Amino acid sequence: MQAIPPTSTVLSSLLRADLTTQWRNRKSFMLILLVPVVILLSWKPAIDKLGGTFVLGTCLTLGLIAIGLMGYSNSVARDRDKGVFQRLRVAPLPTWSIMVSRLAIQLMLIFLMATAVFIAGSYFDKITLSASGYIMGYLASIMGGAVYLGLGQMIVGLIKNAETVHSTSRLVYFVFIMVGMLGELGVLGKEIAEAVLWSPYGTVKHIIASSIHTGSWDVSASKALVATIGYAVVFSGLGIKWFKWSGSEK
Amino acid sequence: MKTKMVTQTDSSHKQVINMHVQSQAVLEVLNLNVKYEDFHAVKNVSFSVQEGEIFGLLGPNGAGKTSCLSAVEGLLVPESGEIYVAGYDVKKQGLLARANMGVQLQATSFQPELNVMEILKLYSGIYGVDLTKEKMDSILNNINLRESRSKKFGQLSGGQQQRVSLVIALIHEPKLVLLDEPTTGLDPQARRQLWERMEALRNMGHGILLTTHSMEEAEAVCDRVSIIDHGQIINTDTPGGLIDKHRNNPEVIRASRKGKITLEDVFIGLTGSQVRV
Ligand SMILES: Nc1ncnc2c1ncn2[C@@H]1O[C@H](COP(=O)(O)OP(=O)(O)O)[C@@H](O)[C@H]1O
Ligand SMILES: [Mg+2]
Repeated sequence: MQAIPPTSTVLSSLLRADLTTQWRNRKSFMLILLVPVVILLSWKPAIDKLGGTFVLGTCLTLGLIAIGLMGYSNSVARDRDKGVFQRLRVAPLPTWSIMVSRLAIQLMLIFLMATAVFIAGSYFDKITLSASGYIMGYLASIMGGAVYLGLGQMIVGLIKNAETVHSTSRLVYFVFIMVGMLGELGVLGKEIAEAVLWSPYGTVKHIIASSIHTGSWDVSASKALVATIGYAVVFSGLGIKWFKWSGSEK
Repeated sequence: MKTKMVTQTDSSHKQVINMHVQSQAVLEVLNLNVKYEDFHAVKNVSFSVQEGEIFGLLGPNGAGKTSCLSAVEGLLVPESGEIYVAGYDVKKQGLLARANMGVQLQATSFQPELNVMEILKLYSGIYGVDLTKEKMDSILNNINLRESRSKKFGQLSGGQQQRVSLVIALIHEPKLVLLDEPTTGLDPQARRQLWERMEALRNMGHGILLTTHSMEEAEAVCDRVSIIDHGQIINTDTPGGLIDKHRNNPEVIRASRKGKITLEDVFIGLTGSQVRV
């Protein structure tokens, strides 16, 4: 008789494999870092006017959007298409362990991305934070990351085909960057600027910027936090509800 | 339960010994029904696979073979019916049932970025198998992938990928082995080699459930087959028994060529000659 293997061995095996897969795809992670780093470099002249925390907050938010939309949703869609999930699911493991391992990797990527942005910010633009600012920045990034991982999950929940997921997530990413960034700066008019403020872009950016700037947390930041949690719960809830493990299921 | 003769080769003495083993069902499927929304894909299907037996589910495309297997594997929840793997109820003891089965899916794939050794390590961890260096080496030798052990799965040929997925299906020496159209897309040499591997497994006492639409394959390796079409089992017997039973069926005779009745003629006679998509 075969026994059920302990969950700890299952999880560590999954984690090692997911980590290896991620490492082999490190080029795509470099692309995720590209936009925030380019902004840190090119916005240098405007940093005095905008403020260091505003710029860092924007860069972290863009990095989080890229992780959820470009990284996570595409890797899940690809593996579903290839039958990777189905093969895992016929093994004696609890289904949640497959996703827990994936999310642990995403958590690691969020840490790496935030660290890269912090380092680039201090190196290129001399933006440095207090120790508590960095810690709060990591925590707020995880909170904001949940919104975009949830959004990525929603896209793979709604769309079965990996190619379509790929193009859709790219489009949504682009819209978020353009409307979010330009809208916030007031380029697209007052109404859009107001709407962006309460969009998943604005609330995530708000909580990150307020977290890294010690002493700047106020009532509006708390409201933004509530909205952020709301987005994360709704997106991932729907994403999980709609999700099918197999790409061929109709 | 029934007693069956099993021929086993004792390699150290190069002689064939016969021994009696108690043969029992490693898979029991009772009145299985699978529905996809309104579409009734599997209708009241019952069959069993014994230890040391290669059992074939033989049917045209869309007959419901994969749907039957998916229900056994726990990938879908059937409308009704009971399934026991090595005595474990798939519904109530899913993890134990899955621990006792090895699976090669029709569209099996592993992460294309992982190499052969990494895939072996992943699945030995998942199945709780202690993969020593000796064991790893012997597996790699056995499937002729020693040279390619650091190659990524995505870069392997179809035959090599197939060998990897078969060896993963067997890594925990399961009682029940489920192979969904394993020889589709293989060249004749690779197909023969797979048949030999299946026979070796049978002789070690594993029960194998194989789906195929190849009559040649069913005749060559299956001890018993069920012909399935439109979600229903039409008949279950040994390949020879099926031919004998339907020898005088006018549809079968009409399908036969050159006066010789083959399993394919029986199959066409029973399932009709309409082309399936
Ligand atoms: N996820 C699904 N949703 C709806 N119909 C399906 C699904 N999977 C299979 N079917 C249908 O069920 C029937 C049996 O399919 P399947 O079990 O894959 O057949 P086989 O493996 O014998 O080729 C086919 O008509 C197929 O179109
Ligand atoms: Mg099939």
